Amino acid sequence: MSAKSTTSTLAQMLPLLKKEFLEAWRDRRALLTAVCFSLMFPVLLAGATVVMVKKQSEDATRVALIGAEEAPLLAEKLASPALEVDRLAQGDPRSLLQDDYDLVLVVAENFAHRYQEFRAPQIYVYVDSSDTGAGRAQRQVQERLAAMQQMVVNQRLAARGVAPQLLAPWQLEVRDVSTPSSRGALILATVPGLLILTLFVASLATSVDTSAGERERLSLETLLVQPLPAWQVIVAKMLAVASLGWLGSLLSITALVVLMPMMPLAELGIQQATTVAGVICMGLVLLPLALLVAVLQILLALRSQSFKDAQTQLSIFQIAPVMLLVIIDAAQIKLADSWQLLPLIGQQQWLKGLLIGSAVSPLWMLAGSLATLALVVVAVVFGARALRRETLLSAA
Amino acid sequence: MISVEKIRKSFAGKPVLRDLSFEVPDGKITALLGANGAGKTSCLRIICGLLQAKSGRVLVGGIDPAVDPQGARRQLGVVGDREGLYERLTVAEYLKIFAQMQGLGSGELQGALDAVREELELSALWERRMGGFSQGERMKVSLARALVHRPQHLILDEPTRGLDVLAVRLLRKTLLRLRAGGTTILFSSHVMPEVAELSDSVLVMSEGRVVGRGTPAELGRETGCESLEDSFVALAYGRLPARQEVEPA
Repeated sequence: MSAKSTTSTLAQMLPLLKKEFLEAWRDRRALLTAVCFSLMFPVLLAGATVVMVKKQSEDATRVALIGAEEAPLLAEKLASPALEVDRLAQGDPRSLLQDDYDLVLVVAENFAHRYQEFRAPQIYVYVDSSDTGAGRAQRQVQERLAAMQQMVVNQRLAARGVAPQLLAPWQLEVRDVSTPSSRGALILATVPGLLILTLFVASLATSVDTSAGERERLSLETLLVQPLPAWQVIVAKMLAVASLGWLGSLLSITALVVLMPMMPLAELGIQQATTVAGVICMGLVLLPLALLVAVLQILLALRSQSFKDAQTQLSIFQIAPVMLLVIIDAAQIKLADSWQLLPLIGQQQWLKGLLIGSAVSPLWMLAGSLATLALVVVAVVFGARALRRETLLSAA
Repeated sequence: MISVEKIRKSFAGKPVLRDLSFEVPDGKITALLGANGAGKTSCLRIICGLLQAKSGRVLVGGIDPAVDPQGARRQLGVVGDREGLYERLTVAEYLKIFAQMQGLGSGELQGALDAVREELELSALWERRMGGFSQGERMKVSLARALVHRPQHLILDEPTRGLDVLAVRLLRKTLLRLRAGGTTILFSSHVMPEVAELSDSVLVMSEGRVVGRGTPAELGRETGCESLEDSFVALAYGRLPARQEVEPA
C-alpha cells in the first residue's frame, strides 16, 4: 500500500473513528461500569492484604480455661506461643466466647478424682462454629490435648512395663512451611488474571452497544450504506471498544501502584518490585490483548439475536478465559516458553513477571504480542464478513 | 438513472423478488407501491448494495452496487425504514461525520452543513443531542444526513411513517425542490394521497414483480378506477375495490 493510499484510507476512517469514540465515551453507564470495576479490584486487593496482615498479628488463639484448679498440669502444659490460656474460676462459656475468646475449655468438677482412678474424666470444649476463627482454634487445642493425652498414655504404659512404641508404629507431625512471603505472593498472583478480566468487563457494555445495539436500533444499516469498506467499520468499532477496556486496565494498574505503598507488603515479606518502566511495560503488553478482546466481543455480539442475548453471551464469554488462567495458576502447571505465544497465557506470564520483578524475555513478549495482533487481523477479516451477512439487517 | 434488470431474490428458499425490472428516470420522483411483503424494502436494499440479488443487475448512475458498492453509495442518499440516529451525538456532529464519510472535504463541508440546516429548518436542533427527539425531528435529521453530500439519487423507505402534518409538508416541499434541481428520487409508501401528489411515476409491486407502472392518471385509465388507491387495489390484488364490486350494475 503506498503512503498516499494509506493517508487516504486513514482520512476516510477518521470521521468513523470520531463517531465511534464519541458514542462510546459519552455512554455514562458503560463508563461507570468500566471505572467502578477497574478501581474495585485494586481496592479489594489492598483490603485483603491488610486483613491478612492483621490476622497474622492476631495469630495467638485465646482460650478460657474454667476449672484449672482440678487439672493444674493440664493448664500449665496447654499454654504455648500459639495458645494464650487464661485460667478462670468460673464463667458462662457463651458470654466468654462473645468476649473475644476463641474457645472455652471447661474441666469437669471431679476431674482430679476420676483422673486418679483412671476413669477418663471429662473436658468440655465450647466453640462458636459461626466464628471464622473457631475451626483453627478447635484444631489447635485438640492437637495440643491429643499430644498431652499421648504423653500420659506413654507414661502409664511405661509404668506397667509396656514399651509405648508398640502402640505407635509411626509418628505423624504436620509442619506448615508457608512463609508470610509465600502467602503474600498468592495475593499478587491473582493480579494478572484480574487485570485481564478488567479488559473484558470494562469494554463489555460498549461492545454490545456498538454491535447488537446498533443492529437493534437499525443505525448499523445507516452506517453500512455509507461508502466505507466493512473492515474500516469493524476496525473503528474495535478501537473504540478497546480504548475503554485498555484504559480500564491502565486505571487498575495506576490504582495498584498508588495503593501498594499503603499496603503492608513488607510485613508479608514482599518487596515492591514494580518500577515505572514495569508499569509502562504492563500497559503495553495489555494493548494487543485489549484489541483482541474488543474485536472478539464485537464478533460475538453481532451474531446475537438481540441486545439482551449479546449481554448474556458476552458475560459467559468473559468467564471462560479467566477461568482458564485461574486453573493454570491454581494447578501450578509449568508451561514451556512457547506457551507465551498464546494470547491470555502470554500476557498472564509477563504481567506476573513484571509484578514480582522477575526476568521477562523481551523477545517472547514481542513474539507473543505479534501473535496476538495476527489474531486481531484474522478477527477483523471475519468481522468484515459478518457485516455483509444479510441476516444482520432487520426483517431480511 | 437507477436501472433494475430482472433481479431475483429469495429468503430461506422463498422467492421475494421475481425477475423484477424497472427504471427510475433522472430528475423524476418515482413511487414504489406494494402491500406488506411485496418486496419493496428488499428491492431498495439491493439498490443500496445492502443485499445481493441472486441474479439480474442493478445500475445506480451506471455503477453496479454488487461490483462497486462504495462507488454506487457515493451517488446515493438513503433514508431507511428507521432513522438510524445516534442518540449521544448532536445534530451538528452527526451531519458533519456523515458528510465526511461521504468524502466532503473541508472546503465544501461548512457550506453543505449550512445548506441542510437552512433547508430543513434544523437551527433550533443543531447543537442538541438526538436522544429524545420527536419522530418528525428524527426524520428531518435523517433526511439531512441523506442530502448533505448532494447525492444524484435519493432513496426513501416509507419516509412519512409516523410524521405529523407539518413534517410531511416539509418533506414534500424538500422532495419537490430536489426534483427541480435534477435529483432522481425513488421512495416507497403506503400513503396514497402523498404518492398521487408527489410522484411523476408509480410502480405497483405484488409478490416480487411490477404489476403496474405509469403516472397516477395512466394507472387510473388502465384499471378504470378513479383514485390511485382503487387502481392499486385492482393491480396488486387483481380485483376491483370492494365498494365498486357491491355497486349495482
